[in-house]
Amino acid sequence: MRKTVVRVVTLLGGLFFVLEFMLPAELRRPGAEQPYFTNPLSPWLNLATDLVIVLGTMAFLLGPINLVRSHLGNLFRGQRGAVESAVFLLFLVLGLGLAGLKEFPDLKRGLGLAAADSALQSGYNLLFYGLINAFGATSMALLAFYLVSAAYRSFRFQSLEAGVMMITAVVVLLGLVPLGTFLTGWLPTEFQLPTWAAWIFAVPNSAVQRAVVIGAFAGAFAAGLRLWLGVGQKTE
Amino acid sequence: MRLLARLHRIDRRWLYVATLVLMLVPFILPLTLPAGHVARTTRAAFELIDSCPPDKVVIIDSSWDAGSQAENRAQLEAVVAHLCRRRIKFVVTSLGVTALGPDFARDIIRPLAERAGYEYGRDWVQLGFVQGVAGALGPLIDRFCRDLWGLYPRDVHNTPVEELPLMQAVRRGADAHAFCCFTYAPAYEWISFANAQYGLRLVFGCMTIMCPAYYPYIDSGQLAGMLVGNVGAAEYEALNGVAGRGTRLGVPAAFGNCAIIIAAVLGNIGLWAERRGRRAAA
Repeated sequence: MRKTVVRVVTLLGGLFFVLEFMLPAELRRPGAEQPYFTNPLSPWLNLATDLVIVLGTMAFLLGPINLVRSHLGNLFRGQRGAVESAVFLLFLVLGLGLAGLKEFPDLKRGLGLAAADSALQSGYNLLFYGLINAFGATSMALLAFYLVSAAYRSFRFQSLEAGVMMITAVVVLLGLVPLGTFLTGWLPTEFQLPTWAAWIFAVPNSAVQRAVVIGAFAGAFAAGLRLWLGVGQKTE
Repeated sequence: MRLLARLHRIDRRWLYVATLVLMLVPFILPLTLPAGHVARTTRAAFELIDSCPPDKVVIIDSSWDAGSQAENRAQLEAVVAHLCRRRIKFVVTSLGVTALGPDFARDIIRPLAERAGYEYGRDWVQLGFVQGVAGALGPLIDRFCRDLWGLYPRDVHNTPVEELPLMQAVRRGADAHAFCCFTYAPAYEWISFANAQYGLRLVFGCMTIMCPAYYPYIDSGQLAGMLVGNVGAAEYEALNGVAGRGTRLGVPAAFGNCAIIIAAVLGNIGLWAERRGRRAAA
């Protein structure tokens, strides 16, 4: 029953967006002031968008809710990783509390914390700039080390194709940074590394990207159609 | 030959240390590299923004956070510096990607705007974050283009948008002269909805590794311009005549790319030497 409801809602939702897009906004006979047809679905489009935002927000909340359930269980059962669970829950409460107090001044006043404004702001700054900013940048920066390691282990000149790929990669890597200009800036423009890199992006890369995108979107269209129509899914 | 063959078996921890040392060099020594070449994608973006008439605004979607700040931050700085220099009014949004977007954008934009004498509400506005569904931003972008006021009833300071003087000129996203999206990988829906249906001229600022995916749209004219990572930011700064973060970070990026090339070369020399040694032994 639950899956049937989901399928019906999916079908109706998809049908709404398809028909709203396909039907003309309005049709009028030549010289007529009033249209004889206006798209009956367009007035509902804003409501549909609001529902998308609400659904997105609910989906966004599902992550933290599941994590809290899982980590609370870990903590109370005293399982392995309970300390990490406690750290997660502590920072979740801290983050929610400080961000909530920052965003909702009425809440701050209601809790009698208006006097502690600077302390709350410092706490928020510590979490935002001191932790989130640093952790986010660090985890992304680690990619540089993995890239170097991967280049060392896997980038092997073992066949003609691998050789072409390697030479292309070197031209792009050098052409995309000022070093390309530094090394070949004395040559005519046609022979400079940035010009070659730009050509690789604009010509061979574009051709391949078009092929990939056409294939990927054809697949996505087919998958979307199956999902929309509920084809190939078990009902229960 | 045996020494060369050992290059094939370097412990990866040594590679990590070497990368770290190499990447630190440009932060310790004040090195500069020339930025003579300007890609056509960057030039097109600059010319589009530069041609904004006085009665129009540019909308910037700043949807990046700490993870991609190494490149998106310089791009945003470069474009906002250009807007401020040309006295072009702008609206900032953060649509559907990261809730931290508005905080990061504010920290960059506010000082630049204040330095340029911009008044909030009259010359620039920040609308904040709207939650979307990952991979399905289409409905939001459609709403953005035809009903910006409906999508953003209030700005980040909780002021109703109809009370902000600048917003009188931008009831719909499609009213803007140009739209710039700075994020790790801008959504394709900006092209299929905002450009294809509403004719909004788009500039993307993306991470370098994501840029190959957008070149076909440059060729088709659906994407007016693109800033490719820090290099794009540095080129934009060169066109604007102001050397900023993009120019500064070009040198560490060059060292990072060199580390990758050197690692690949060492690995290949080691492999070659080892095979040669094995053949000689046989």
